[in-house]
Amino acid sequence: MRMQRRMCLAVLATALAVAGCSSSSKSSAGSTNSPAGGASSTPAGPATAPANASAGSGSAPAASSDASGNLTVWVDAARLPDAKAYAAAHPNVHVNIVTFDGDGNGATSLQTKIQLWNKAGSGWPDVIFSEQVNDPVWMAQQPFDFAADMGKALGSSVTSQWPKTSLAQCTVNGTLVCIQDNLAPVVLWVNQKLMTQFGYTVPTTWQDWAALGEKVAKDHPGYIIGTTGESFSHWIYFWSNQCPLEANVKDTNVTINVSDTHCTEMASLLDPLIKNGTVPPLSVFTPDFAKKYGGANDKVLMMPGAAWYAQSVFDSTLKIPAGEITSAPPLQWGTDTPVTTGQVGGGPWIISKHSSNMKAAADFVLWSTTVFNPDPTGADARPGLPGYGPLATSWLAGMATNKYFAADPTPAIKAAANQIWQGWDLVTYPDQPVWSNTVVTGLVAGKSLSSLMPAFGNGLSQAAKAAGYTVASH
Amino acid sequence: MSDTPVLTPAAQATRKRGLPVGGARRKGDTRTGRGFGFVLPYLPFLVAFGILPMIYAITLAFTTRKGKFIGLKNFTQAGNDFRFGPSFEHVFVYTAVWLAALIVFVVGLALVLHGRAGRASSTFRFLYYIPGALAGAASVLVWLFMLDPGVSPGTFLLHILGSHLFVESIAPGHLPFIFAMIAFWTGAGGWIVVLHGALNTIPHELEEAARIDGAGPVTIALRLKLPMIGKWIAYMVILSFATGTQLFVEPQLVNEASLGMVPDTWSSNQLAYQLAFRYGKFNEAAAVSVDLLLIGLIAAVIIVTRTGLFRRED
Repeated sequence: MRMQRRMCLAVLATALAVAGCSSSSKSSAGSTNSPAGGASSTPAGPATAPANASAGSGSAPAASSDASGNLTVWVDAARLPDAKAYAAAHPNVHVNIVTFDGDGNGATSLQTKIQLWNKAGSGWPDVIFSEQVNDPVWMAQQPFDFAADMGKALGSSVTSQWPKTSLAQCTVNGTLVCIQDNLAPVVLWVNQKLMTQFGYTVPTTWQDWAALGEKVAKDHPGYIIGTTGESFSHWIYFWSNQCPLEANVKDTNVTINVSDTHCTEMASLLDPLIKNGTVPPLSVFTPDFAKKYGGANDKVLMMPGAAWYAQSVFDSTLKIPAGEITSAPPLQWGTDTPVTTGQVGGGPWIISKHSSNMKAAADFVLWSTTVFNPDPTGADARPGLPGYGPLATSWLAGMATNKYFAADPTPAIKAAANQIWQGWDLVTYPDQPVWSNTVVTGLVAGKSLSSLMPAFGNGLSQAAKAAGYTVASH
Repeated sequence: MSDTPVLTPAAQATRKRGLPVGGARRKGDTRTGRGFGFVLPYLPFLVAFGILPMIYAITLAFTTRKGKFIGLKNFTQAGNDFRFGPSFEHVFVYTAVWLAALIVFVVGLALVLHGRAGRASSTFRFLYYIPGALAGAASVLVWLFMLDPGVSPGTFLLHILGSHLFVESIAPGHLPFIFAMIAFWTGAGGWIVVLHGALNTIPHELEEAARIDGAGPVTIALRLKLPMIGKWIAYMVILSFATGTQLFVEPQLVNEASLGMVPDTWSSNQLAYQLAFRYGKFNEAAAVSVDLLLIGLIAAVIIVTRTGLFRRED
């Protein structure tokens, strides 16, 4: 009997010892923020601006320069120069900068962190930048309840300088809870040098683009006209073509309908191109992609992608030589009007409602979104089109004379900013990993996109239901 | 997740008890008192990092957010989650692969090493142990490079296995095997050292006697040494089973490195983490943790009773 008890105790001790050591590695993994390996880039692209880049002379409102005290900001790698420049320009504010993965690619780092801070009752940063446009939606609601009223923090005279559609995205239950750092409409990026060399004209419709893809596969195998391997590829292709993957969001209702014609016709258009290798299921942020299609290989003929692809992707990530890339307007579906396009990124700034230094927090966001604009004609330019109107104007002017581009890319970007399809609603759950782990893995294994769409819809529905949504499928 | 094996006081005590030790023995009371002295330094840690969290988890698992008792509701809710089945399935396939590899190769290598001359044996033990020096997360990073045909020194092997891109290396079907390989690579060396130590406790006379009776090295290894280190193997299996079912670091890092191609709820421990910290369902997360605790305990009881791990000689 006594032996029996001892044995049980010993078993318990052993099990606990194991539980103890595994929970310690758990917490260390929990705090691992940067993505591993070479695939470290995120939708916002790598940072290139020097830390002490001086702020450009934007026509910004007078930032309150009397901010002081401690300020903790969480930013991704691309926003680090911005935060550093703020710290340098504001010696009275003691800025504690924390870099993290930016919550990109549908990661859930911020959800987990905020839950932990809420549970601990302390530790919240004052300001967060997120690469996921849908983060503020959950941040403004229970159980997270993190986002402060941005309209109140910045003042309506400032926030009115953002496009209405951008403000609408940041409005949750009638309150403006974030402000977009940049606008990220999808355009068609084109390698003008290669197009001229091959004697092609830039397509204006998805059908022309696909037909050109068939031609490229035959005449110039190895060259590509897009990719489907991003975690956000469906935001490029399916958002552009008005496919209802997250539509009619009202309270906790959402429509996910992958059998809608807008979805199936896009899948059928892409399938032959995925098969012939002109639209590979590979992310531009992987070392494999850069090796195969980037640098001296220079195999990217065209690529539908966001406005911030500009230098982030083509110059910094893929090292495509200067004087080749420019942008063309978003592709049209047949003769459908008006032309609509997708959006990828356009990361928001969020102020914590737990901040004890609201003044400095607001000052930081104001400065980052309305003042910071280093050297818009060089590689140090801000990665994306600023959301704040006056700054966008100076950014576009710089972009137009930027020597990296083969031709002025700004008219297409400007036009696209007003063509983002408004039927795509933001939801609280990350949909991007669902694309990655149901569709991209399948495409890599040689399946067709059309055959993967039901599984994709199913995955999205499950993610939506797990987040508390009621899902309608038509 | 693969840890350097640390002998818990319980195991050390077992080791003391389980072996035929020469000389006279004192009576029970004195031994218990001395044993307590050995266990004492560990007790505060056991309570703070083992017992209290476990009680907290069990309390959470049976209550609501507001602390009201609700029986098994958290368990049924967590069990009905669409990710529950797949995550446990992944973990069991992984654990099976890993444990099989661990038992066969670790025991095999330990026996082979023990038959070698001193210097060669210690050199190899050191070599096997080196990968264990890399902590869990660091070893995963090493493997992320090893599995990327673009940068891996073993590219030709990856090509033979049909992988030309990183995304092909981490195809869903490969994952349990990849994680098992990572865990084996970092953990096996430590266990080889432990088992080698166990083999050293076998009295030389026994081996000598077997040899005189005409037993060759293979017979000695399989019929004499192997049965005598059975308890250490059982101990290794219990610890490894529990670590295996609690897999977290490897899939979590591969999830981030693959930009989401590997789900962030691949393993059951990840599911508990996501339930708690993404959805704020701490009670359901606790239920998943208690599931894991139960599985670990049941496995431990089965192994302990079947192998007589804690049976005393007297």
